[in-house]
Amino acid sequence: MDRREFLSRLIKIFFTGVAVVSGLIALIFAYPARIRKRKTLFIPVLDELDIPRRGVKTVNFSYKRGEQLISTRAFIVQHKGRLFALSPVCSHLGCLVNWHRKKGQFLCPCHGGKYDIEGNVIAGPPPRPLTRLPMKLDKGKLYLGIKV
Amino acid sequence: MGKIFDWLDSRFGIKEPHKRFLQRRLPERLSYLYCLGGVAFTLIIMLMLSGLLLSLYYVPSEHEAYQSVLRITREVRFGRFIRSLHKWSANLLIVFIILHTLRVIIHKAYRPPRELNWVVGSLTLVVAFFSGFTGYLLPWDQKAYWATEVGTSMAATVPVIGKYLLYMLRGGPEVDGTTLIRFYSLHVLWLPLIMALLLWAHFHMVKRQGISGGL
Repeated sequence: MDRREFLSRLIKIFFTGVAVVSGLIALIFAYPARIRKRKTLFIPVLDELDIPRRGVKTVNFSYKRGEQLISTRAFIVQHKGRLFALSPVCSHLGCLVNWHRKKGQFLCPCHGGKYDIEGNVIAGPPPRPLTRLPMKLDKGKLYLGIKV
Repeated sequence: MGKIFDWLDSRFGIKEPHKRFLQRRLPERLSYLYCLGGVAFTLIIMLMLSGLLLSLYYVPSEHEAYQSVLRITREVRFGRFIRSLHKWSANLLIVFIILHTLRVIIHKAYRPPRELNWVVGSLTLVVAFFSGFTGYLLPWDQKAYWATEVGTSMAATVPVIGKYLLYMLRGGPEVDGTTLIRFYSLHVLWLPLIMALLLWAHFHMVKRQGISGGL
């Protein structure tokens, strides 16, 4: 093997190595880092009899996400004959909004976001209405669907 | 490996012309200064590969761009590494193109018959600058936003057409989601395509005209 052949082999081995290592890094990069199916967990929050006839009822509940116990709340709203559940998470930066009965609005304490009783934005920085949560009635209990 | 390649080559016939190019004899007077352009090209290849990878995770939307960049650096395996690779290659690319340009100026390699290649090379630098400028907006953080705000506002100082130029660049009067999508499209589709065409012309002319005599 002369000098020229030796060098050309060396270069081939070097670049093959570079290609293999880069290829592996690319594969590891492209493979999803977190593989977790988000499923909807239904939590009983209210007796059927306690569902408001008209207006907003705040319900407090807690659920487990992994090891973590999370306590939160939601709003059960009966408005113009329709029943729905609103998430209290402000669509702006995720603060929890409060129901102001006198004004008939949901108010966000952080940056002054205001929502009407249906969760639509009236004023302030929120870009989207409040999220509606899935609900179901089963054996006299009202269940709320939370994504975990 | 060799056998598979030979089988392909017997049908594809790509080995011979490449051998002629890659294994041609070079004049002895060449120094490492002649590698500056090659280094720049290597950086472009690294940019294209790391950019292809980043595009798997980046979301070019007003609401999600910043979050997706955070996700790349925090959650994705090797994410920080690939993003840094892209960033530093981009910075070094500009440096090496300028060094290569200086080498060409000093060796007077821009003289006929190489004037057109000088023009193509200069355009490559312009495209590299634009890629850097458009890529700078994509993280969609404060620095990116204000850099683009200031950078695009310069277009407005052009006489007569300035205002229209500004609207064209930003896709409206303000830097917003429209600008982000515009810059994203330029950064990942238009500019790399233009760059590839320019480089093809650049290398073709180098191959045809040979390496210049130097000083």
